[in-house]
Amino acid sequence: MIRATARKICMLGDFGVGKTSLVARYVHGTFSEKYLTTVGVKVDTCQVARPDGTDCKLVVWDMAGRNGVDALAASYLRGASGLLMVADGTRAATLRTALDLLMQARAVVPDAAAVLMLNKLDLIEHWEIEPLTVAELRNSLPVFETSALSGDGVVRAFAALTAKLPA
Amino acid sequence: MNDLDRLRQILLEEDRRALAAAAQRLDVAESRQHGLADRLPQALEAVQSGAQRERFARAMAAPVATALGSAVRGNRHLIIDALFPIIGPTIRKAVGEAMRGLVADINQALESSFTLRGLAWRVEAWRSGVPYAEVVLKHTLAWQVDHLFLIERASGLVLHRASAPELPALDADAIAGMLTAIADFVSDSVGRDGGDTLESARVGEHVLWLIQGPRANLACFIRGVPGSALYARLQERLERIHAAIDAEGASDELVASVGADALDLTALTRDAATAEPRRRTAWWPLLLVILAVVAALAWHVLRDRSWETRMEALRTRLGAHPGFVLTALDDTRRPDVVVHGLLDPDAAPIEPLLAATRAAGGAPQLAVQGYLSTDDAIVLRRARRLLAPPDSVRLTVGGGVLGLDGVAAATGWRRPRLRAPMIAGVREVRLAVEAAASPAEFARAELEQLARQLPEIKGTFERGVAAAPDSEAFVDALAERLRGIEQQAATAGVEVTLVAVGCNDATGADRTNAGLREGRGAWLRAALIERGVPAALIRVAGDTDPAFQDRPLERSAYVHMELSSRP
Repeated sequence: MIRATARKICMLGDFGVGKTSLVARYVHGTFSEKYLTTVGVKVDTCQVARPDGTDCKLVVWDMAGRNGVDALAASYLRGASGLLMVADGTRAATLRTALDLLMQARAVVPDAAAVLMLNKLDLIEHWEIEPLTVAELRNSLPVFETSALSGDGVVRAFAALTAKLPA
Repeated sequence: MNDLDRLRQILLEEDRRALAAAAQRLDVAESRQHGLADRLPQALEAVQSGAQRERFARAMAAPVATALGSAVRGNRHLIIDALFPIIGPTIRKAVGEAMRGLVADINQALESSFTLRGLAWRVEAWRSGVPYAEVVLKHTLAWQVDHLFLIERASGLVLHRASAPELPALDADAIAGMLTAIADFVSDSVGRDGGDTLESARVGEHVLWLIQGPRANLACFIRGVPGSALYARLQERLERIHAAIDAEGASDELVASVGADALDLTALTRDAATAEPRRRTAWWPLLLVILAVVAALAWHVLRDRSWETRMEALRTRLGAHPGFVLTALDDTRRPDVVVHGLLDPDAAPIEPLLAATRAAGGAPQLAVQGYLSTDDAIVLRRARRLLAPPDSVRLTVGGGVLGLDGVAAATGWRRPRLRAPMIAGVREVRLAVEAAASPAEFARAELEQLARQLPEIKGTFERGVAAAPDSEAFVDALAERLRGIEQQAATAGVEVTLVAVGCNDATGADRTNAGLREGRGAWLRAALIERGVPAALIRVAGDTDPAFQDRPLERSAYVHMELSSRP
């Protein structure tokens, strides 16, 4: 089969966790955000450096906030090489949703690499997610505390996911 | 225990217990059916080879049909993917035939609309050997492929792409991804049973075609109105790519090469433009054009020949006109004509000869210069004008010889006699004029000359006593000749009597003809009296007058003059 040079990344998470804000300054935006509320997804691209120094083009499918993977979302997930799971640190329920979505997405793309982003690091004093829970999660998948406001942790999260993608 | 299992234990312990209980119940149910899968194939094989084969087939017909219908409804994609290599060419062939018929209909319709533009396109088709329908499509349905993407069906990632060279760069991966998402969205939203897919979209002058394949799709962005041949070519290329993908042992490089070839825009455009089959060229429009040209040429030649005939006739008339020498006849600015030539002052006017040219719509112009003609008729006119001979002297010209005969007064004749040899065109003068010794003698000679000339001046009648249209001029000329005749008779010492003689032709009864003769003579007498001839001098010839028994057999009237000595 012909192999595409770019890699498809899907960004999943509950409503209002900051998915779109996280990638707003990171990706090359082509389309309006209105597609998120109409089609349910917005596709952008960005160039990320691999650990070996080569560039990798990521096609980021920013999927509208949801707490389950329906048939349409499953069609959006098909062919994805990586999953960016996003949760809001100030709302513990969004972590449960993110993990729920991760497991449902695994049914569609079992081989996709995954990274968990705990967003809103700038509001760390209001976080509901316990550090112990975070430490436990780190044993299962890469977890990055990020801030869409300051940009902290975002680049590292993308770089970590890129490193796990097949060459 | 792996990472995910530990994660499940942390968050989903209660759910796991419920699932485990459900799984245990399922195991019990499955154990009851254990071994069925092993026994079923053997049982089916036994039925196929046994005597119950037909019965089994009839029994299975209904459930198999139901199962197939259910499979089509539930796994439409699977069925379509399996049938894609078969139904693709079949559908394309059927569509191709339909399009050929449609193009033929359009062609026929265009052939029937006989316009200048249609003719120009037909000439172009005939000249270039390209079918007429294709030329029409080239002018009316122009299109250009702007972008062509080969997109992985599952991921929406771009596998290959080609764009027209003059277009700005675009993020093909993002567009392909969004296009795939929208196609999935449309299919999920409005597709029946999830089986219908987005195939085309139109925005302004741009058309998007999305041609689906089992593993990859072709997205074609076209500017203008593409023909069906382009769609067929795109389908062929997508099938070629899938054939390469599915081939045993095909390397990535080979597949990539096939993909790159399939997306060659130049070749694609050329193939689509020449895809329409060549057909026999219809010749009738060209023949019609040729016939029109030939008809125009024939009309032009006929008009030219008619004009030449008319000019030749004019040239002949002008050449035969006494006292005129035609030097050139310029008809370069038809229908206007310029006549160049030499005209003697004594020649008759030539304007009446140009009447035919005026009738043809032209405006003839004369560019003539004066000259002296030696034509006998013109020399005679010139001699009469210069010599002004009395009526008793008759002039003739033949071969440049001027002849004068008659009687003239001796005193009045000397000067003309000296002048005659000097008239242009006269090379010899033959004089036979008798010089009268006295005025009385000359007057008598003139009267005798007039008496001889008068019967030659005749007026004609059409029927009855109605004079011909030129009768006025005849009577005027006769009255002019008779002017002063009473005084001249006195000078000559003779009595003059004028007799108006009426004549008739050979037809008709004697009584009627006698009346006609009487009536025509009376009409002439009255007309002359009206113009000043003394009534006492003129009478009407009687029907029994012996001097007029042998009248000419014609419808005419004339004057006879009798001279007698005075008592």
